[in-house]
Parts: sequence; structure tokens; C-alpha cells
Amino acid sequence: MSTTEHRSTGTIYEQVQASPEFADLRSRLRRFVFPVSAAFLAWYMAYVLLASYAPGFMSIKVAGNINVGLIIGLLQFVSTFAITTAYGLYASKHLDPAADRIRRQIEDAT
Amino acid sequence: MPVTATGILALVAMGLVVVASTVIGSIGTRARGTSDFLVASRTVGPAANAGAISGEYLSAASFLGVAGLILRDGVDALWYPVGYTAGYVALVLFVAAPLRRSGAYTVPDFAEARLRSPGLRKLCTAFVVIIGWLYLLPQLHGAGLTVETVTGLPAWTGAVTAAVVVVGTVVLGGMRSVTFVQAFQYWLKLTALILPAVFALIFFVNADRSFDRPAPPQFLDRTTVDIRTDVQLQVQFPVSVKVTGVITGPTGPPVVYTDDETRLVEGLNTVQAGAKLEFAGGAPVPVVAGAPVTDADWLTPYAAGREYGMLGTYSLIIATFLGTMGLPHVLVRFYTNPDGRAARRTAVIVLALLGAFYMVVTLLGALSRLYTPQLLVTGETDAAILLLPAAVLGTGPTGVVLAGIVAAGAWAAFLSTSSGLIVSVAGVLATDVLGSGKVRDFRIAAVVAGAVPLALSLGVTRLDFSEAVALVFAISASTFCPLLVLGIWWRGLTDVGAFAGVLVGGLLSAGAVTVALSGFVGPGWLGVLLYRPAIVSVPAAFLAMAVVSRLTAGRTPVDVDQVMLRLHAPERLGLSRDRLAERVRRPTG
Repeated sequence: MSTTEHRSTGTIYEQVQASPEFADLRSRLRRFVFPVSAAFLAWYMAYVLLASYAPGFMSIKVAGNINVGLIIGLLQFVSTFAITTAYGLYASKHLDPAADRIRRQIEDAT
Repeated sequence: MPVTATGILALVAMGLVVVASTVIGSIGTRARGTSDFLVASRTVGPAANAGAISGEYLSAASFLGVAGLILRDGVDALWYPVGYTAGYVALVLFVAAPLRRSGAYTVPDFAEARLRSPGLRKLCTAFVVIIGWLYLLPQLHGAGLTVETVTGLPAWTGAVTAAVVVVGTVVLGGMRSVTFVQAFQYWLKLTALILPAVFALIFFVNADRSFDRPAPPQFLDRTTVDIRTDVQLQVQFPVSVKVTGVITGPTGPPVVYTDDETRLVEGLNTVQAGAKLEFAGGAPVPVVAGAPVTDADWLTPYAAGREYGMLGTYSLIIATFLGTMGLPHVLVRFYTNPDGRAARRTAVIVLALLGAFYMVVTLLGALSRLYTPQLLVTGETDAAILLLPAAVLGTGPTGVVLAGIVAAGAWAAFLSTSSGLIVSVAGVLATDVLGSGKVRDFRIAAVVAGAVPLALSLGVTRLDFSEAVALVFAISASTFCPLLVLGIWWRGLTDVGAFAGVLVGGLLSAGAVTVALSGFVGPGWLGVLLYRPAIVSVPAAFLAMAVVSRLTAGRTPVDVDQVMLRLHAPERLGLSRDRLAERVRRPTG
């Protein structure tokens, strides 16, 4: 059973792998995932660096008991949510249509 | 100790949680086979599924531990909730979609599908079980603490009840029912936190209190503090106290007091277990050694006196950021979505739910510094949320009811995380140790999966939840994270390389955890690394995996191109294995 599965999907694999549309899809994914991860990690690490080297800045009072350090800390939650939302939107707008185009191509060809 | 009215109400509330969970669980009982147990037939909607993921992920460590850490360490403790949330983002961006497409339900499945190595599969199985048991340990311990704190009954009754209820639910219902139970439990947890938070905020705003002052917190009223385990108190502001028990001052030998007035002088004072300290209202609160003393320091990141704070924090960030993706009960949840689009929608809802939950927990932690400062003396800060309602509202009807709701929420936290863990551990035990996917084997495995951590938890006397959980994250980040990330994104990975990496990361991190849990306190940076091994063990695991794979490059699986394409091709092409299976089953779809 497994041999038939490999043989029957093997041609699809080859077709898809060779197509420029698939290369385009992969690069679209990478264009989002890698820069966003880098930016997120930088923002994540920045808090630690600021806390260590700019305690004065972090303890600037904004209102009542709330200082800059606390706001940046809480913004970390907001940023995780923003990134996931952005990923969902990006995938719906750029990844899904590209995948659909490839599928249509395969269906037309076979 | 006699059970109080609050205790009885809390017991009733916790009983109701158990009954409701069982009823909701039994509604979905239509177990047909192991795959139904494991993936809930993929018929669960994104909202329910997101609730379930959050319910499972937000464990006792989140519910009680994070608030306790905020109470004690202030702004520095924000790293725990931020890290737990951020780890979820790493999981979504790097691992979730390719893993779904691989058709593997668990890390051992993935290891075998990608690298075709039974040996590696066994090693992964061992680590799934280790991680699952270590994660169950603080859950059961927390169930015991909750019962002890709110009712005065011995802690073991809570741990045993939690274990029995959870194993029972899993054995009878499987994962379909667990999914709905967990969604229910998430909302219960959130309600249990928001209600007291609203009440507490109103009091907080009216009381016009400020944290921004160079003074320690104060006792609101005359307060008696029972010391249950030895504590070291860092006294900066000398305070008068009436003592029954033994105290060793910074200079002198131990002194035995019997209801005597004395003064805690500046420096390190050691109070022996069993002591009773009575403080006057308005007296400055002496805090456990190592925690920030004044409110202003508490509100400032890395205030004086925290050695190697950066090293510890970076290591914690690495562990939480990379460790989430390797947690067995979190991974398997992604299969309960019908397709990738629903999985993404689920992820967005989950992040919103996690963020909302942790904001409330953080707020409650801060409020507990005003209302339950005596926990800073005993060091039992994990009990903060449980004691907050009564501390704010008194022992009147409102306070008692709120205390009951909070206890029920905490109980829900233990039940939900534990059931997810037991399903995962039992799953791998049934398939890889008992050697079959039969429902009966799954049930036997579930009993084993619950019994071992229960025995462990009864042996542990004291455990800091968030610390214990952070250690488990470190092990997960050092073993499964390199395997998943390199396995998904690097075609050069070999079975021998993966084996070496998992082993190196696992031995380093698990070794550090063992030493840390056994109570050894190393000097300076070594002590920090034993509690926070990730900064060393994660790079070591990645390096070992990459180097050994390069050395054994000839062992790259022959079908690596096909497997990689299946992982990265969009699933709507129909290349994924389970999509194919689905088409066979439903030829028209």
C-alpha cells in the first residue's frame, strides 16, 4: 500500500517542486516568518537590555504606579497577539491564494 | 484544624467543578478507537478548541505561581507570563503547520516519520514521559496546596483526589470529552480571576495606595503569621514582633521565645519552622531573603541585590520561548482543528485568551502585595490568589463566595492541565511501551501515567510552582525544540545526529534539574545555571545535532526530499498523508 502511495504522489511531488509557483509560495512564507521572528526576538531581548543598562529610563513614571518598564513589559503581551494576528492575515492574503493557484494548475494539468 | 465555613463552601465549589467536568465529559463519550481519543475526531470548532488549548496550557503555575512570583519579585517576574505567551508564538511560526502536515500526532511519531529510526523514537518516548511526569508533579502538588490552604485538610487529600478525577475522566472519555471539559475549565478559571480582580481593584482605587515609595509593604491589621518551613528574612527596617518559637538573629545564637515581645534587627534573621509571629497593624513587612524589600525596588527591574539577573533572565527566556513547542499536551492539540486555516484562527484566539489571563494574574499578584503581605514572611507566595478574596472582602458572605469561586478556578487549573498531560503520556505509553493502539491499553497507560507523578508529589514537601514549571520548559527546549526545528527546516539532519542532540540536551538539562530539585545551591553563576540550564543546554543540543549530522551525512534518509516537501507544501494541495487518508474515506470530498 505504501509503495502505491509513494508512486502516485511522487509525480505530484516532482511537478510541484519544480514549479516556480511553489518556489514563490516558499519565499512568501520565509519573507514573513524570518523577519518577524527576528524583530520579535529583538523586541523581547530589548526589554532585558533596557532593564539592565537603562534603569533610569525604565523607572520614569507615567501615571501613578505605572512606569515605563511596566508598560514595556505589558506591551510584550500585546506584541505576541499582534504577530499572530498579522500571521493569520498574511497567510489568508498571500499564502492561501498562492496555494490555490498551484492547486488549480495541478488540477488543470491532470 | 476544624474546617471553617469558607472551607466548606470552597469544598462544595471544588466538588461542583468535578461534577460539571464529569457531566460535560460524558456527553462526548463516543470512543471508537484510539485516534478518536487523541484527536477528538477533528470536529471541534476554533473557539472551543482555543478555549481548550488555553485551558490546558494555563496550569496551576499560571493560576497561582505567576501571581505569587509577582507578589514576591515584582516587575522581574513579568518574564514568566511573557515567556509562556511568547513560546506559543514560536510554536505557531516555526512548528505548528509543518507538523500538522507531517501527520504525526506526537514527537516520537514525528521523529520516526522524518528520520525512520526506531531508536530515536524510543528516546523521544522516554522524554515525553519524563516531561509529562515532571509537569504533572507541580499540578498535583498545587491541588494539595489549594485544599490545604482553603480548607485546612491535609495536602495529600487534594493531590489524590485530583489524580483520581483526572485519570477517571481520561479513562472514560478520551480526548473528545476532554476538549469540551477544558474549554469549560478555561472560562471558569478566567471568571474566577476576573471577579476578585474587579472587587480588589475597586478597593485598591478607593484606598488610594501607592507602590512608589522607598518603604516595604505594611501589615494592614494586627497579623499572626505561622511559619511552616524554615525561612530566612531579610530585614531592612527593624520591626517589633511578638514571637513564639525560635529565631536566629544576624549576630547571635538561636533564641527561644514564648509569646515574648522582641525586635527583628537589620540583617538576616532565620525563623525556624513552627514559629508564630505576631505583627502590629502598620508594621513594615520583613520579606524572605532574595526578594526586593521596598515597594520602589519591587517596581524597578533588576533592583539592587539580584546577582546574575541577566544570565538568569536570558536563560529563562530561552527556556520558555523554545520550550513550549516541545510540550506534549500542547502539540497534540493542533490536530483537533479541521484544517490549517482553522488552526491559525485558533492560534489567534489562544493568544488573546492567554494575554487576557496573564494580565489579570499580574494585577492580582500586585494587589496581593497590599492585602496578603504575610506571605512575604512565610515564603508561601503561591497561595496569594487563594487568600486574596478573604483578605480584601473579609470573612463576610461576599468574601466567602469569592473565595469559593477562586478555589474552584484553581481546581479547574489542576484538572485541565493534568488531563491534557495524562492523555499525552498515556498515548505514547500505550503505543510505544504496551505496543498497541487498543483502547484497553490506553486506559491501563492512563492509570500508570497518573500514578507515578502522584507518588512523587506525595514525597515532595515544598515546591515553587513557577520554578518547577520553568525547569520542565528547559528540558523541553533542550530536547524536542532542536529536533523539531532542525527536523522541519534542515534536510541535512540524520538519525544519529538527532539522537546525539536530544541526548546531550536532555542529560544536561535533566541533570541540572535533578541537582536543583535535590536542594543543592551552587555559588554565583553556577547556582543560576542549575536553576536555569537552558542558556547552556539548548545551544549544546543544537550544536551536537548539527555536528553529528554532518559527520554522519551518509545516513540522510533516502526519502528526505519527499518528506520535506510534504512538510512544507500547503496542505490544500492534498499532499499530506492524513489528507490522502481522508480522501480515501470520503471519495466525494
